[in-house]
Amino acid sequence: MTTAPSGDVAVEPFGDSAVMVTVPHADQAIRRSAIVAFRDRFLEHRPHGVLDVVSGLESLLIEFDPLQTAPQHVEYAVRLLARWAPADGPEQPRTVREFAVPVVFDDETGPDLVSVAEEVGLHPAEVIEAIAKSTFTIALLGAAMAPMMDGLVLPRAVRRRAEPRTDVAPGAIMIAGDNAIIQPFPGPTGWRVVGRTPHTIVDISRPDPVSFGTGDVVRFVPVTRDEAAALDAGFLLPVEVSV
Amino acid sequence: MTTVALEFTGTGWTTTFQDLGRRDTERRGVPTGGAADQHSAVVANLLVGNPRGATLIENLGGELALVPDADVLLAVTGAPARVTVGGAPVESWSPLVVPAGQEVRVVGDAGRGTRTYLAVNGTLAAKTLLGSAAPDARMGFGQLVTRGSRVLLETEFRGFRRRFFEPPLFRLPVPVPRFDEGPWVVDVVASHGIHAIPGIREVIEEAEYVVTPRSNHVGLRLDGPVLHPDTDAEIVSHGVPVGALQIPHADELIVLGRYRSLTAGYPIVGVASRDCLPLLGQAGPGQRLRFRWTDRDSAIRRLARREAEVCALEHAIAEAFAAVGFETPLPQH
Repeated sequence: MTTAPSGDVAVEPFGDSAVMVTVPHADQAIRRSAIVAFRDRFLEHRPHGVLDVVSGLESLLIEFDPLQTAPQHVEYAVRLLARWAPADGPEQPRTVREFAVPVVFDDETGPDLVSVAEEVGLHPAEVIEAIAKSTFTIALLGAAMAPMMDGLVLPRAVRRRAEPRTDVAPGAIMIAGDNAIIQPFPGPTGWRVVGRTPHTIVDISRPDPVSFGTGDVVRFVPVTRDEAAALDAGFLLPVEVSV
Repeated sequence: MTTVALEFTGTGWTTTFQDLGRRDTERRGVPTGGAADQHSAVVANLLVGNPRGATLIENLGGELALVPDADVLLAVTGAPARVTVGGAPVESWSPLVVPAGQEVRVVGDAGRGTRTYLAVNGTLAAKTLLGSAAPDARMGFGQLVTRGSRVLLETEFRGFRRRFFEPPLFRLPVPVPRFDEGPWVVDVVASHGIHAIPGIREVIEEAEYVVTPRSNHVGLRLDGPVLHPDTDAEIVSHGVPVGALQIPHADELIVLGRYRSLTAGYPIVGVASRDCLPLLGQAGPGQRLRFRWTDRDSAIRRLARREAEVCALEHAIAEAFAAVGFETPLPQH
């Protein structure tokens, strides 16, 4: 994982009980990887009074209880943690789980496949192949724990839909920009819907409703409808665990 | 410990289990959620000797009614409401002893706040998701309490040997918020986005806004004047605090609530002070709102004053209950 190049962060007040952290850098890829690295470090050394964080693609919202700490203390801790280089090398390596997610890509499960193919100048089959060849990394968990991933390799970034779809089925595989996300529950989306997995992504009856976290690696494996049905797919679990 | 059944003989438009929300789940995409009016929820629990974050009932509109099958210690807080026990009027924002078989009935005054909270001494049997009983509609966790359902309660309460129609048991320093008839005033701390829209500070300060029926737990949508930024710069998805004032492309102002998600593309001109969030949580369609700009330090000072009042209540209750031989958990703060 890339670490922050210079350790420089911008800290912006956001109301009376939050601050917003960003990494000022011209390169988008560095902004994004540096904020992920900062987030991991911040959570590992969480200052007193910090309640929670919310990851954006290029930002980290830090929420605190202003009666337990002061905004100035939080800002100070943020800058200190950003600049601080741990003496004994990289931080504790976390376990990366790997997921192979079977996906049915057809007209019904992927209503935006054709338009995405036209937009990036490929045949729909080539779009499916490109998705299957891409190695995705979970950058953050979005609304309702949806895994939001980086790593889509297509000739160009995919636009969002001008008119959001109102009712997308759970398990829908959706793309935008160079990102992919899986829809956990029925609902609206502005992302382009290209396929669907038969697995349950989020199961609220489990003590931990998901099996994945940020930093985990995902590949999509095209399957036919019959193959998908034969899988008897339940809750999504990782294929293997590597350190 | 005894198990008591509460039979819900009436429910409002939306009656759910509720608490102060999820902790440390926003980093995994699950909003904190929880009681829209956190102050009322905290005080309801304290009044019955519960920890602040105990599971309680949140009721929106209509008539909430329940009958316990043993004596219970109960309190109703939130928006102004007519509360009766066995048909006799009783006080809200006060501990009540409800005898077995008597019906508690709560009828809110919808014109002056939308939500009432009902806490009962003990632990309500409710499902949890990620450590909290608060509903999360997006994840299919409804937590609805339906009419006719029996909810179980584990309680240590065995009665004060008092009748509910006798004078109030205690004189407690209860911080009851004002739910004025006129427009409610909400303090707002300006945020970075205000610089993208010249003149918006003055527009928001001078105008009166009205909550529209399109509002929900994700946000209050307000009718009133707004301005838009000149540029249409793409803003990358980012997290926002509860209470953020967002200006969408349409001519309206949105105040984001406890179930907001990431946002992108819309400027955020300020964030309502934490102290004012409980009031915003009570605002329903038709409610008029005015905004007052404040600075971060003043906002935190007002929050500290409110917290001091709640702490004073917490200690007074611990003493009063101990005096009648009823132990409550020691205050954690």
